[in-house]
Amino acid sequence: MNDERFFDLAMKAIVHQASSAECVELEAAMASEPSRKIEWQNLQAQARLTKEVLALTSAVKSTQGEFPAYARERLQTKVRQTLGRPQAQEKKASFGWRWFLVLAPATAVLVLLLLITAKPHQPIIEIAMLDGVGLTRGGGTNDVTLLEQQWKGVKVQTFARSDELASWEQRWPSTKALVTKVIYDPAAAEIRVLLRSEGKLSVKAIPVDRDLSVALRQAEAFIKAQTAR
Amino acid sequence: MNVPDLKSLQCGDADAWDAAFHWLWPVAFEVVRNKLSPFLPADIEDVAFEALEELIEKVREVNRTEELKPLLASISHHRAVDLLRERFSQKRGEGRTESLDATPEEQADDCEPVAWESPLNSLEQKELVEGLRTTLATLKPPLGDVLEDFFLHEMSYEEIAQRHGIAVGSVGVYRNRGLEAMRSIWGSGSGKL
Repeated sequence: MNDERFFDLAMKAIVHQASSAECVELEAAMASEPSRKIEWQNLQAQARLTKEVLALTSAVKSTQGEFPAYARERLQTKVRQTLGRPQAQEKKASFGWRWFLVLAPATAVLVLLLLITAKPHQPIIEIAMLDGVGLTRGGGTNDVTLLEQQWKGVKVQTFARSDELASWEQRWPSTKALVTKVIYDPAAAEIRVLLRSEGKLSVKAIPVDRDLSVALRQAEAFIKAQTAR
Repeated sequence: MNVPDLKSLQCGDADAWDAAFHWLWPVAFEVVRNKLSPFLPADIEDVAFEALEELIEKVREVNRTEELKPLLASISHHRAVDLLRERFSQKRGEGRTESLDATPEEQADDCEPVAWESPLNSLEQKELVEGLRTTLATLKPPLGDVLEDFFLHEMSYEEIAQRHGIAVGSVGVYRNRGLEAMRSIWGSGSGKL
């Protein structure tokens, strides 16, 4: 077997794209030439390194993922402690300090009132849709509109790739409130509803037969039933 | 999203940092998630925040804005690996010696996730940053994209060809060219880099 053929077979096998016949051919090559076994191990090591580096460079190029707003204060504190503030912002801060002294008593009363009348954690709902090219029925825009009408005020996030959607699905905000994720996958013709509360996860898959709005109402009903418990 | 101004970041401008957090967060989260999700998924966000905090400490060492993301990726990678080593060292029991003759089966029984060790872990942060920057500059589209689709997404030649509008026969050529570029930047992956 020539080097080029061995290399190609090895690469295909490493990324699980080799057919059964190709795997057999590769095994036979390594059995007949012991040096091929060492070459195979070297190629595996190179592929592992390549995958790691590519994962890092892919991450450097990534723009997916919402920065958790609750972390802002922690990081801004770190900025203040480490870098200080530009002079213009420091003057603004010192002026603001005087106002704080003046308003402190009123602020304390307001905070107390808010604590007394505070509502429990509001449930959070997030919606996403897999919107690969040519996959959506009747145009992705109509489906997005239907989703937005069902859950008013909630922005629908669209993903072109299923791995990006899967990544979004795994990310949950750190909160004690009930968090619901609604995922519409036109290719699979289903809506997945995931509810997470107090560490417990409930999942339901709702098939989308002909009418998306029917499936959306079923999803809403499921969410309400779970929330009422 | 607008790229934040480096000078403003280095001066501690709050608004510039607000923009930077949104711009940088996907990098830290993605790197840490790739490393920790099989073993310590609950720690992903915390480690990503710690990486951002370390970046804040190092921002004055940076000369250009385009260095920020590779630096953050490097910091995130090392922090994730440090956490894995710390947690699994504790699990094994500190101070307990291991047999050098332990077989892979014995190691697996010991719950040592050696899967996350790699030559990259031994690189100094600066080396890793430089390597990433060189890789990003070298693997321009479609070369880098073909390589990612082949190795990360394990797509077939036909799928890759269709996605990038290239001939099926060209996929192997791009792959080989990309691997050659990686070898020249990072070495062969077996032994020291």
